[in-house]
Amino acid sequence: MFAPKINEAMRDMNLAPQETLPNTILAVSNLKKHFGGVRALDGVSFSLARGETHALVGENGAGKSTLIKTLSGAFPFDSGDIVLDGVSYRPSTPHEAKARGVQVVHQEFNLLNHLSVAENISIEAMPRNRFGILDRAEMNRRAQASLNAIGLGEIDVRTSVQSLGIAHRQLIEIARSLQSDSSILILDEPTATLTERETKRLFEIIADIKEKGVTVVFVTHHLDEVFAICDRVTIFRNGETIATELIADTTPENVVRHMVGRELEAERSNSRSIGTAGDVALSTRKLKVAFNPHQDGLDMDVHYGEIVGIAGLVGAGRTEFLRGISAVDPIVSGHVERDGSPVRFRSPRDAISAGIAFVTEDRKEEGLILDMPIAANVSLANMEAVSGAGLMRFGTERRRAKSYEEKLHIKCGSVKDAANSLSGGNQQKVVLAKWLACSPQVLILDEPTRGVDVGAKAEIYGILRNLAREGTALLVVSSELPELMTLCDRILVMANHKIVGSVARADFTEERILKMAYGQNGIEEGTNA
Amino acid sequence: MTSDNRPLEPTPRRALSFRAIINNAGIGLALLALILFFSLTSEFFLTSNNITNILTQITINLILAVGMTFVILIGGIDLSVGSVMAFAAVVAGKAITLPDMGITELVLLACLAGVMTGLICGLLNGVISAFWGLPSFIITLGMLNIARGAALHVSDAKTIYSFPSAFENFGSALIYGVPVVFLVALLITLIAWFVLNWTVFGRLLYGIGNNEEAVRLAGHQVFWLKVAAFTICGATAGIAAVIYMARLSISSPIAGIGFELNAIAAVIIGGTSLAGGRGSVIGTLLGAFIIGVLANGLILIGLNDFMRQMITGVVIIVAVILDYYRAKYSAS
Amino acid sequence: MRIFKTVATAATAIALLVTPAFAQDKPVVGLVMKSLANEFFQNMLEGAEAHAVERGDYELRAVGMQNETDFESQINAVENFITQGVDAIVIAPADSKAMVRPIKKAIAAGITVVNFDVALDEDAKKEQGLELAFVGPDNRGGAKMAGDALGKKLGEGAKVVIVEGNPGADNATQRRLGFEDSVAEYKLDLLDSRTAHWETEEANQVFSTMLTAHPDVQGVLAANDSMAIGVVKALENAGRSDILVVGFDNVPAVGPMIEDGRMLATVDQFGQKMAADAIDLALEVVAGGPALEGWVKTNIKLVTAE
Repeated sequence: MFAPKINEAMRDMNLAPQETLPNTILAVSNLKKHFGGVRALDGVSFSLARGETHALVGENGAGKSTLIKTLSGAFPFDSGDIVLDGVSYRPSTPHEAKARGVQVVHQEFNLLNHLSVAENISIEAMPRNRFGILDRAEMNRRAQASLNAIGLGEIDVRTSVQSLGIAHRQLIEIARSLQSDSSILILDEPTATLTERETKRLFEIIADIKEKGVTVVFVTHHLDEVFAICDRVTIFRNGETIATELIADTTPENVVRHMVGRELEAERSNSRSIGTAGDVALSTRKLKVAFNPHQDGLDMDVHYGEIVGIAGLVGAGRTEFLRGISAVDPIVSGHVERDGSPVRFRSPRDAISAGIAFVTEDRKEEGLILDMPIAANVSLANMEAVSGAGLMRFGTERRRAKSYEEKLHIKCGSVKDAANSLSGGNQQKVVLAKWLACSPQVLILDEPTRGVDVGAKAEIYGILRNLAREGTALLVVSSELPELMTLCDRILVMANHKIVGSVARADFTEERILKMAYGQNGIEEGTNA
Repeated sequence: MTSDNRPLEPTPRRALSFRAIINNAGIGLALLALILFFSLTSEFFLTSNNITNILTQITINLILAVGMTFVILIGGIDLSVGSVMAFAAVVAGKAITLPDMGITELVLLACLAGVMTGLICGLLNGVISAFWGLPSFIITLGMLNIARGAALHVSDAKTIYSFPSAFENFGSALIYGVPVVFLVALLITLIAWFVLNWTVFGRLLYGIGNNEEAVRLAGHQVFWLKVAAFTICGATAGIAAVIYMARLSISSPIAGIGFELNAIAAVIIGGTSLAGGRGSVIGTLLGAFIIGVLANGLILIGLNDFMRQMITGVVIIVAVILDYYRAKYSAS
Repeated sequence: MRIFKTVATAATAIALLVTPAFAQDKPVVGLVMKSLANEFFQNMLEGAEAHAVERGDYELRAVGMQNETDFESQINAVENFITQGVDAIVIAPADSKAMVRPIKKAIAAGITVVNFDVALDEDAKKEQGLELAFVGPDNRGGAKMAGDALGKKLGEGAKVVIVEGNPGADNATQRRLGFEDSVAEYKLDLLDSRTAHWETEEANQVFSTMLTAHPDVQGVLAANDSMAIGVVKALENAGRSDILVVGFDNVPAVGPMIEDGRMLATVDQFGQKMAADAIDLALEVVAGGPALEGWVKTNIKLVTAE
């Protein structure tokens, strides 16, 4: 309702989108920021109009995260100007940024895992009673109200954040930021961990906030989301702002062209031919994990050269299933078969020796050793290749890491740099490199492109397809249906810890899969296939 | 493990290694400053006798601190090393005063008994805390009491004495003014440095300190790696016990009270993070020197006991504050 | 441990009920010891136990502590003895002030109390209106004996250092004062005085450094033998045989050192007999003898090579 109005106003005034608007709340001009010799921001200029929803897009490493951290006071900029509400703005701490009305929901969670949901939501302004003592009832009431407001009423605010899934944590982070009155709300990849239903809910919330006159800055890798809810989009590349465009006047192809500086081949086309599936590489027989409430476990087969996807809603038990297969978490009953014979893994070590590699969904907590060099991360799962008689061979390690750097197009200064110096997409490639270094016969991936930009996503798809072509069996869980539909030969659909259906590539439609995932239409098409 | 303040953009390699030099040099510079200060304020400080003294005095703390570095690197702590040292000393003392044996056999038996006692205590610390995933703080606090009690029990609370003179000579031998026991400590430090920096084992210990789950998921036996770190720490307590006996010609069941705190202080002053994953034995070596030089120098300039204790406390706190800035600057 | 104690107490109680005549014959003495981790008190306890067997006309119940400063468990021990209704409590207080109140309670309960080894604080006793004799060695006097031996040998103006015990501990203070008495009497030149917390290794380190700062030192007064051993090792390392050392306690380990001259003297306060003597005194009072008064000094003796 509001968005068209702004668009009309801007059009009426006949202004180029980049120029300062009369109702500008924030104007950034020629911002620069260096880290050592790397130009993270190299001339960033754009402006925000009061009450608009403004998308920032660009490949990982293009400078979006640095810009957000600068705006939120996490670190200072070198040169350039920021004007907020007509006054110069140069926050030195996150606190100062909040005081000026700039609120950021970070991509990395800032939740206190051991505290309750309510405590996390109210952490900035704990309600007190007359005696100055924490008013727990009021705190819980307020927290529940704020969760209700974003449609998360089913969560008990007294449970600890630890016990929640990653998607719920993201929504709680958003609920918390909505607690304080801010004039600019910056959401850094808020949908990366959300399923479609939750994303939809988030968009409704954003519309509500917008109605209150709050300016929303929306950072995302999903162009469909940009085109669904934003008024304008600013495109970053290599630390610079390339263009700011009115959504109404542009196309996704146009935006992508700005982002990558070249035409991208149509990645989403149904170009993948069904590979000839070989023998059965991996099967589960009545495999039941601790979280599974049902008596019977899950049955499934993956063949060599085949990519099998698992679709489902958050909480359907997909991640738990993968963790059970790869012995990351213990299984309750049933078993795993490799090459048709039953195997019993006591630890991830056993799974790895059986040729199974597992890329977990949480690369920061489980995938990478962030403070250690890229090379060390790449060799972590296959130390034998870079050592002899227990002694490190640093030369070999560096060479191997470099070869993966080239093969997977990891953008880094040097393989000796710490993994945390990389952008999300490049970090994910390091995780992939680590597992590819073990030459797995079965590769299991949980959300392989979370928080990864369009360009890197396409590259990762390419890598996975190549692996399948070379005969590797792949099992992929993803919350992005288009991703599974692009990648997979077959999609299993899970709902409430059951495999409720199996769809062959020829029959892929979003509608069909979603219906199964929501449990509306339990089509039993060869569940055991 | 969080990386909230870190840029997502690559940091150039040159800046990193330059900082690394500054980071490590920081402790060395502090040590040089202390040495300079004491050599200006006391005429005795730089005499060869006093240098020999300092080297002798830091020996036991250095050995304990090197073992402690392994445990702290994986994010643990070992509060039991002082007591374990006493227990190992008592066991070795019982062995070395056995009748009817040749001197060489006795000394070898005593060394073996001491080191094995320490090693077994460390092994227990590691197995118990790693198997049940319990905080090593609590488990080693328990071991602190167990080992002390065992030391008193085995010795009947009596000091064991009259060791073979060959053994005592080893404790006071000098090579060009450098105590042999210090050379032993230095050798242990170098071996530890090699293990931590050049072996797969060392790499994985750093990995566990940073992100234990990532190491486990990469197929490594985190349990045994942790047990190994604690076992090494226990073994160094056993070695320290043998050195203690050689130096003082007694084994006392009440030896080593509070030694664990000095060892931890040396590790922390040396820049190893209590959270694990970051640090080095070279830092620990410098940390042990700082504590030793401080204890020695403050007596030489005639400061009283209570002031001395206060200043040592201040130095530990300053070291941790410096470590905070070190972590901050290496992060951003 | 506690369970064991409870069981033991219960067993004793049952034994009392079953054989009343026998039990009534024998008075019960509660012995409250200091840290049994300390060799000195360990010996003392062994002496008391041997004494009980030898006399055979009383029942001994002994309680020790975990460490030197654990006076909580001493207070508990006294209260337990009051509850058990023992005839006498013989106590070596861990804290000369904190133990006054529980001891007063015991006396009010009609129990004969003998305070040995460390005297209760005079001011604290006055404050609580408690009058109690002290049976024990004269730490200050003993230290002076050792100091005098050193002073006699070195002569006026000789340069000495003191290695002290735990700062704040009563016997450490008394021994330091005793050493200082000798220093004054023989006009010795006291160069430095530092604590090594009763500990061999620390005494070794602290004294080596003092030796560097004062290479002209001629004599060392160590407040216990453990520290004296550390001092002797430091002298051996420095190759100095011209410096005289005196200690305190006469632990077995210093025997050879005194014999071969590495130590000049130590002081024996007959720890093994001290508890036994205090028990004898307590039993006399229980049997109707006159109450003890003032300071009943126990034997101390200077031990030298002669």
